[in-house]
Amino acid sequence: MMAQEVLLDCLGEACPVPLVKTEKKLTTLAVGDILVVQIDHSCAMKNIPEWARKEGHNVEIEEVDDGEWEVIIEKVK
Amino acid sequence: MDLKSNKFYQQWFKNAWTYVTGAILLSLFQIVTLVVTGKPWGVSSTLTNWGAWLYSAVGGQVDSWYYFSSERAQITLDAGFFNDAGSMRNLGIIFGALLATLLASQFKFKKIKSMKQVIAAILGGLLMGYGARVGLGCNIGALYSSIASLSVSGWVFAIFLFLGALVGSKLLTKFFM
Amino acid sequence: MSEVNVTPSPASRISTGRRTGTRRKPKKNQIPYGIALFVGMLAFGIYLTAVSARLGIFWLIGCCFGFILQKSRFCFTASLRDPALTGSTSLSRAVLIAFAVTSIAFTAVKYGAHIGGLPIPGQGSVAPISLATAVGAFLFGIGMVIAGGCASGTLMRVGEGFGMQFLSLFFFIVGSLLGAHNFGWWKITFIDKGPRIFLPDIFGWVGAVAAQLLVIALLYVLADKWENKKLG
Repeated sequence: MMAQEVLLDCLGEACPVPLVKTEKKLTTLAVGDILVVQIDHSCAMKNIPEWARKEGHNVEIEEVDDGEWEVIIEKVK
Repeated sequence: MDLKSNKFYQQWFKNAWTYVTGAILLSLFQIVTLVVTGKPWGVSSTLTNWGAWLYSAVGGQVDSWYYFSSERAQITLDAGFFNDAGSMRNLGIIFGALLATLLASQFKFKKIKSMKQVIAAILGGLLMGYGARVGLGCNIGALYSSIASLSVSGWVFAIFLFLGALVGSKLLTKFFM
Repeated sequence: MSEVNVTPSPASRISTGRRTGTRRKPKKNQIPYGIALFVGMLAFGIYLTAVSARLGIFWLIGCCFGFILQKSRFCFTASLRDPALTGSTSLSRAVLIAFAVTSIAFTAVKYGAHIGGLPIPGQGSVAPISLATAVGAFLFGIGMVIAGGCASGTLMRVGEGFGMQFLSLFFFIVGSLLGAHNFGWWKITFIDKGPRIFLPDIFGWVGAVAAQLLVIALLYVLADKWENKKLG
């Protein structure tokens, strides 16, 4: 089965909503799937990657526009 | 020279600092505040003055209220926004944050997204404002500054703040997401 | 636990079509606006200082606090919310470090004034403890989590351009006014009866700092253990 790539729109959401949504969404995905979280909250750009790394996932963050980021999480467990 | 790829620009202005860097620098400016102004940092009592000014702007009267009855409060209110040091500090927080965001080229106006956010902002704001008056301060004045002043009141505030945050988290995940 | 597995990079695995599609417009450079704002803030500071040195100092300190809060994404709300909500305690531990460092420095300043026979500065922060403290803190705790920021956090996020926080700041102000309206009752019924407890009065100066640092250290260890249990 091909790994899924899921987009999660958290633009305009304030903490902790993006993080809680990411946490919930990730539990519905399978190992190997990729979750792309779109955020524009500068705090979430720090706490989502930090949380996901501590959970052991592969994480990358990309600034896609002024004050807009995509956190790319590969579920590894 | 390309500023954006400059190592020091990246470290100082572009990338987020660590939380511990923030902790140390906030501590440093708390000390500056205490030594220079004679009082630790506070935020929320000034917001009450903003309330008094807005209320008088729409025709309200606060002069007879117990809270504003002291001579000092009256002098502050009479002098107005731009002559109130606390107001300038709060205004500074807004502009300091704006400056940091612009220098990182990360400013974006974030519109209100949903009715849920409107209700959360109204309810949360009201609870905080009322709580800060009753509890004699916010996370800065009644928590940070009180604890650092070796006052037991700061720790009592911390315990109930934590309990409130637990309840708030439950409400948030249930109704505002 | 701390090492991050970087291969294969998650970004590289994403189809390029969607990735280029996300960039709707070329990024603008906001730095010139930042520099212009800096000049404006400086000019305003000079103007305020001309009116009174005190105003200028408060403006300068406020700007520094705002800059530091934004740059480090420091958030008192998250420090109290995240341990229970996500298990993350990195901000809680940073707040404890701030408490420890500031406690030591404040005590030094206060002790210096004490042995110099001067009035101890900042004793207004030693607030009376009463039911009002508990109720106020509890309401504040609920409010800050729902609104996504406390007083300083809300001001900081207004500066970042967060529409929702403009609204919560306005209602924070309205709530303050309601609180001020009822303040007389709270003060007479509870606050005036509450004791003000300054730790050096109980443990002596050295004992007070030692006791405080011990409590902070224990909380720090607890926070670390909690995070390891909940995450990773």
